[in-house]
Order: sequence, then C-alpha cells, then structure tokens
Amino acid sequence: MEELVGLILKAGELLLTCGAEMARVEETIERMGRAAGFSAVESYATPTGLFVSLHAPDGRVYTRVKRIRGGHSNIALIAEVNSLSRAFAAGKITAEELRYALERLQEEGAGNAAARPLIGGGGALAFAMMVGGSWLEGLVAGVVGALVLFVVSRMERRFPKVIQAAAGSMVAAAAVTIVGQRLSINTNIAILGAVMVLAPGLVITTAIRDLLSGELVSGLSRSAEALVIAVAIAAGVAVVLSLGGA
Amino acid sequence: MAVQMVMGFLAALTFGYIFRVPAGESIRCGLVGCLGWTIFLAAQGPVGEVGAVFLAATAVAVASEVLARRRHQPVIVFLTPGIIPIVPGSKAYLTMLSFVQKDYAEGLVLLVTTLFLAGAVAAGIIITSSIFRSHTSTKPVGR
Repeated sequence: MEELVGLILKAGELLLTCGAEMARVEETIERMGRAAGFSAVESYATPTGLFVSLHAPDGRVYTRVKRIRGGHSNIALIAEVNSLSRAFAAGKITAEELRYALERLQEEGAGNAAARPLIGGGGALAFAMMVGGSWLEGLVAGVVGALVLFVVSRMERRFPKVIQAAAGSMVAAAAVTIVGQRLSINTNIAILGAVMVLAPGLVITTAIRDLLSGELVSGLSRSAEALVIAVAIAAGVAVVLSLGGA
Repeated sequence: MAVQMVMGFLAALTFGYIFRVPAGESIRCGLVGCLGWTIFLAAQGPVGEVGAVFLAATAVAVASEVLARRRHQPVIVFLTPGIIPIVPGSKAYLTMLSFVQKDYAEGLVLLVTTLFLAGAVAAGIIITSSIFRSHTSTKPVGR
C-alpha cells in the first residue's frame, strides 16, 4: 500500500510540474487510487502544492503533502501520464510497470532541447508577419526570437520564470535595437515578434480551463502568474528602450 | 492571405513545439491554429475584431475537442497551440509598453481592447467546452 501511495503522488507531481489543469490532476489521482484498491480517495491540487488522502479498506488512512516547485510546460508528458493512468486503471499494466514508466518519463524531462530555439524562432517570424511585418522584419524577429529562447534555456531551473521573462525580453529589445541601426525596419514589430516566444500561453489556457471547472484558487493564481510574466516582458523591453534613448 | 494562413499554421506549429506537444500531433496543432487565424482574418471585416476573435476561438475550441476525442489526447494538446495566433498577446504587450512609455491615453485604449479580445477568447473556449462536457459521458471511475 505504502508503495502505491508513493506512485500516485509521483503521477500527480509530474502532472503539476508540467502545467496540467487541476481537474485532470485530481481525476488522475482518483482514477489511480480506485484502481490501486483504496476505498476512498480525496485530493486537493494547487499549482504549488498537492494534498492526497487515501483510505485503505483495512481502515488505515494515508495522507501525503507534496510541495510542487518550478517546472516547465510539457504537454507531451501530461498526455503520457494521462494515458498511463488510464492503462493502469484498466488493468493493462501493473504497478511495477507504471512505476518504471513514470521514472523514465521524469528522467527524459526536457527532451531534445537543442532544436527548441531554432523552431521557436519560426514562431517569432510568424508572429511578426501576423501583426503586419515585412519579410525582413519577420526574419530579424525570428533570429532574435531564437536567441531569446537560447538565453532562457540557459537560465532554466536556476532562475524563477519572471526573471527569465524579463531577461529574455531585454535581450530581444537590445538585439533588435542594434540590428535596427543597420537595417531600415520597424523595430517595434520585430521586438514584438521576438518576445512572443516568452508569452505564457499554456498558463493562460489552463487558467481559463481551471476557472471554468470551478478551480478558483488555481485559476486565479495562474491568471496572476500570466499577468506577472506579461508585465516582466514589457518591463524588460521598456528598460532597454529607455536606456537606448529610443 | 495565403501567406497569412501559412503564418497562422507556422505560429501554432512552433508554439506546439515550445509547449512540447506529443510529436505525432504537431501538424494537427498547426492546422487548428491555421483554422483560427483564417476565420479571424475572414470575419474581421464583417463582424469586427472582437466578434471575429470570438468566432475564431469557438472554431479552435470545437476543433480541439473533436480532435482530442478522436486522437485520445487531452484537449490542451490542441487547444493551447491552436489558440496562440488569436490570443491578444501582441496587444497586451503594446498596452504595457504604452504605459511604461507614459503614453497613458494610447495605453488605456489598448488596455480596453485587449480586455475585450481576451474576454472573447475565453468566452469562445468556455461556451464550447461546457457544451462538449455536458454532452459527453466521461467514463465512470468507480465513483
């Protein structure tokens, strides 16, 4: 029983660090707890902490608290844990297999990190073009966006998300300003495209979905997180622009 | 228009990669994003910006819910990258920038626009997924 409790807690922790919605975390814990043979399962998930209480048929109650720190968006991992928990509930995999799979998922973590800046640069290019930029402005945004993602990936795990966003947007503004002195481009559009790679997209979507399913605490705290990151991005750009005399 | 459609596709595809969607689903994420951005561009003239964002968000949410059920994936796999092109991220950024550059009048106009657009996105998602939730029986987990 003790081992199963740890397993359930691990699944919940993985989901939370990857940015899953609260309803999904609690549903997964409930599903796994039932499948593991507990008679009652209570869980309470927030973006920064997880509380689980499992009632065994013999009357014992296992209660655990897990502090959730940091983490980064990883939808693929959410999908993996989700289907693993379903397979476990349907009896297709044993607890031992589940534990092995969860441990492997946790180790894999970020995955192919090297290609992310390059592909993210494509996103920056697309954004600059979508707000009406020229091909040249898109290209500058794309290159700078890739640079921003590279800088941010170097800072991952060592700095909070807010600092990463501020530093990333400062890099974006500085790089575009320097390039803008050589080329005749609308620097505002290029900066806008480049900083979009820092936008807290997953946080916003899960905040809306959490609020919708009545998870007020996590919905509001995620909205606050998105707002703080947005302010940090704008502040980073503003600091550089005002120093550069633009 | 064709270039813009490709850009909508590219934005959703690349952001899907940044959020690390499962590798096999990234093309579908891109198509969902392309759908949203195309509908927004087409509807912007007739119904205005806010209405167009609402329609686009609804279309993206419907496509995500359908794909999620068909591909046995969580809805956020498709919804998060797909909604990226129509989220008023650039407007939010310009709002903040106007305020820090002391252009308060412009900032207020942008702020109100951003709030309306964000509200339209949220409304499109919320209405769609509530309808889908009330019409699909989730598998019982022994409750």
